[in-house]
Amino acid sequence: MSRSRFCGSHEHDMNRRAFLGATGAAGVSLAADMTQLNALAAPGVNDALKKTQKRVILLWLAGGASQLETWDPKPGASTGGPFRAIKTDVPGVAISELMPKMAQRMKNTCILRGLDTKNGDHGSAAITMMRGRRNEAALRYPDLGAVLAREMARADSKVPDYVSFYTQTEGRGMAPGDSGFLGARYAPMDLTTSNYPEFIKRLADISDLDHKERSDLRDVLGKQFVAGRSSDTMNSQNEAYERVRGIMSSEKLFDVTQEPQKVRDRYGPTQFAEQVLIARRLVEAGVPFVRVGRAWWDSHGQNFETHQEMVPELDHVMATLIDDLKERGLLDDVMIVTLSEFGRTPGINASLGRDHFASAWSSTITGCGIKGGSVYGKTDDKGNKVVAEQVDAGSLFATIYEALGINPEKNYYVGSRPIPLVNPGIHAIKEVLK
Amino acid sequence: MRLRLLLTAAICTLAANIVSADDLAPASKPIPQVIDQYIDAAIAEAGATPAGQADDATLIRRLTLDLVGRIPTTTEVDEYVKSKDSDKRTKLVDRLIASPGFARHQAALFEAMFNPDGNGRGSSGGFRQYMTDAVRENKPWDKIFREVVLADETDAKLKGAAEFIKGRVNDADKLTNDVSVAFFGVNVSCAQCHNHPLVMDWTQDHFYGMKMFLARTFENGGFLGERGYGTIKYKPTKGAERTAKMMFLTGTVIEESSKEPTPAEMKQEKEALDKAKTAKTAPPAPKFSARGKLVEVALKDANADFFAKNIVNRMWHRYFAAGLVNPLDQMHSENRPTHPELLSWLARDVAANGYDLKRLTRGLVLSKAYSRSSKYESSLPDSKLFAVAKLKPMTPNQLATSLKIAATDPASFEGKKPEELEKLLEQAENAGRGFASLISQPTDNFQIGVGEALLFSNGDRIMREFLTDGGGSALGRVKLMKEPKEAAEFLVKTAYGRPATAEEVKAITAYVEKRQGREAEAYRQVMWALVTSPEFRFSY
Repeated sequence: MSRSRFCGSHEHDMNRRAFLGATGAAGVSLAADMTQLNALAAPGVNDALKKTQKRVILLWLAGGASQLETWDPKPGASTGGPFRAIKTDVPGVAISELMPKMAQRMKNTCILRGLDTKNGDHGSAAITMMRGRRNEAALRYPDLGAVLAREMARADSKVPDYVSFYTQTEGRGMAPGDSGFLGARYAPMDLTTSNYPEFIKRLADISDLDHKERSDLRDVLGKQFVAGRSSDTMNSQNEAYERVRGIMSSEKLFDVTQEPQKVRDRYGPTQFAEQVLIARRLVEAGVPFVRVGRAWWDSHGQNFETHQEMVPELDHVMATLIDDLKERGLLDDVMIVTLSEFGRTPGINASLGRDHFASAWSSTITGCGIKGGSVYGKTDDKGNKVVAEQVDAGSLFATIYEALGINPEKNYYVGSRPIPLVNPGIHAIKEVLK
Repeated sequence: MRLRLLLTAAICTLAANIVSADDLAPASKPIPQVIDQYIDAAIAEAGATPAGQADDATLIRRLTLDLVGRIPTTTEVDEYVKSKDSDKRTKLVDRLIASPGFARHQAALFEAMFNPDGNGRGSSGGFRQYMTDAVRENKPWDKIFREVVLADETDAKLKGAAEFIKGRVNDADKLTNDVSVAFFGVNVSCAQCHNHPLVMDWTQDHFYGMKMFLARTFENGGFLGERGYGTIKYKPTKGAERTAKMMFLTGTVIEESSKEPTPAEMKQEKEALDKAKTAKTAPPAPKFSARGKLVEVALKDANADFFAKNIVNRMWHRYFAAGLVNPLDQMHSENRPTHPELLSWLARDVAANGYDLKRLTRGLVLSKAYSRSSKYESSLPDSKLFAVAKLKPMTPNQLATSLKIAATDPASFEGKKPEELEKLLEQAENAGRGFASLISQPTDNFQIGVGEALLFSNGDRIMREFLTDGGGSALGRVKLMKEPKEAAEFLVKTAYGRPATAEEVKAITAYVEKRQGREAEAYRQVMWALVTSPEFRFSY
């Protein structure tokens, strides 16, 4: 598979660490030179990246996708709805007929069918499902993206650490990316109005050279002040300014037109597809976490029409992403997660919709240390409750961390208080780990 | 049961007497002297050498930022530096504390303190206005506590104070914790689900005991109401279900003969609430107010120790960038203050002097400990000693207002009557407000993210709203200057309030000379580099 190069040459192939380590002195030519980033997409570099860093693409199905029309169909049951179940490439595992492409790729993917997360309120459930636990009254936990940014990003990273696409309006204010007590260093780059980050482009009235030298002048003027003073906050400010030029040079990662038309056609023309393709470009360049929010799943009315329209898009884009990552040799290093704030009621309401339901729903994990083809959790015949292998938000997160090689019991400290990545006593689901 | 009694006893000990009053410095000694006595003793005991005193230009910048939330104008700096008055620091402090900017800035800090997790919860600005008035009138802290917790909406002047409770009325757990954190420096949230795993002081009884004071509060047609009855049952991690008693943090229990209302009384209550709703008035107050009891018990005798120590610790944190107890919401027996005697003395002092916060503030900033330099050439002494001044990142308002002032031609501030100057400075504050909303509110262990650096580097607002070179601006003034050296010195002085060093002049003139024919552009970039550097971003 030929890879896209901004300049079309192999000359820039280089070790990522060498690339990321080259700051300061080499800055003039480096930061302005978009081709450098392209080095990250080169074959040899992928290998280097692979050993050092796992990454996650979270497909956030905002509003609550129905488990019955996706990963846990109940054909024939009074709650089952009109769609059939189809066989997959994993013997004994069937999913909704709305997902024929994923049905051919379930060998890569683990389904968790026993989610019981207790909370059916959009806002607070979204907060819980992005963090693996409820916020405490006086403690805001970092969400998954912020933890990944903290665990996987380099201090001087030339790419953003946490990118979150959420361009649709439904439920956007309910689930903003949030670094909680980890602070602004790990806050997401939020893309809510376009696929292009704010302030990533230099203003037209300053030349690139002036922009660069102005920043150098800032360093010179700050030197005298910094000498003999010590402060973590001051260091964070200087680090932030040091990262500006690097982040600016990642601008083209967000430009989907940089991809060959063939690849774009493969993903498809929808906004969701484009954002997932950009997410692939970002993780390939070393961004540790990208969330792509896809809203309008909140189908209180006409649930079946909604899912008939939306599930095939999810099916196609997710399958394409899996293929693409696989071809690039990245599926062992990039994890794809599908998650919502909750699922939908098995009972069908008078508007032929399904309502909020947090007692028995599904999520999937693909790639990294996850056992592809595994299914964990069983719901009853009508999908009303979990009858085996129940999973809550905490153990889901513990599993994600473990599969990425991060110890879920690792502590952060808020003041003197140790805060483990997941609440005490919560463990990963060993059965789905490789 | 035996254990519980012991625990209660231990808490009372913590609250009242870690340090016996007899051992404390005399009550009549001025606050700054007592601070220096205890701080210097601890430094000496550690064998450390404190930093020297900050120079005048640094000190007026620090005081102006801390007290009124902006950098001083260059005229203010020059007058202060030149003055030979041996009492000039006290006079400056008194002038700043008396100025309207003090009330505005302190109110903003209080608002952030009351809403630590971000922007005001459902605040309409009423709370800020209330706090501004309270600071201006120098309302005693216990009175503010009373007005915030009692939340009397029938008095137009106190309506804003009610917003704190109102914004949390639908979440009694949060309300409980936020009240405990803001007024007593105690975070009881860990004890909600189980006895605190690390801190013996806090059990579930404490959490639910505190919640009992607040859980009867509700909203009725947009007004706060309170029921005279209502219990909370909770299941402890071990043992049978319990009914919570109103219990303060020290273990003091309020006994009440709370009776569940009869159906007839319920009906009556419902009618009264509907009537209040229709009439758009506050529902009738209960005969027995749990919130009223909280105010009463929290200020009573030794119980008041939490209340007094918390405000002292918070005010200390405001000026010294760290508390005597850290984190601010972890006041308990296993988290000792860095300077226990000093904390006890200050708490006793503030309580004995009617919780007068202006007096306390004045005492804190007149100490030598406050005016130390933030520069230290050899390896730093333990930060707990307060031997070296700590850097404080500016708040969004401080930063935006200071940017406006630095971008203004200093001549605009010269020769103005105090009221006129005040007006101009308030205008600068208002003009910066929009930009301020894009900056994060600093917290402990604050980190500045790349988002801020990108905003300053590539956002057009910084160029459009601050770094303009029209008439009345600092950059406009520079256009009239012939020599780059003069311009460099002028810009450094305007931004930093101090003379430029030779290296700075050299770097700036070289930068400008390289851009011949487009000097105006060059100076804008110089100004950008000056205001984005840490010397501008921090109070030091």
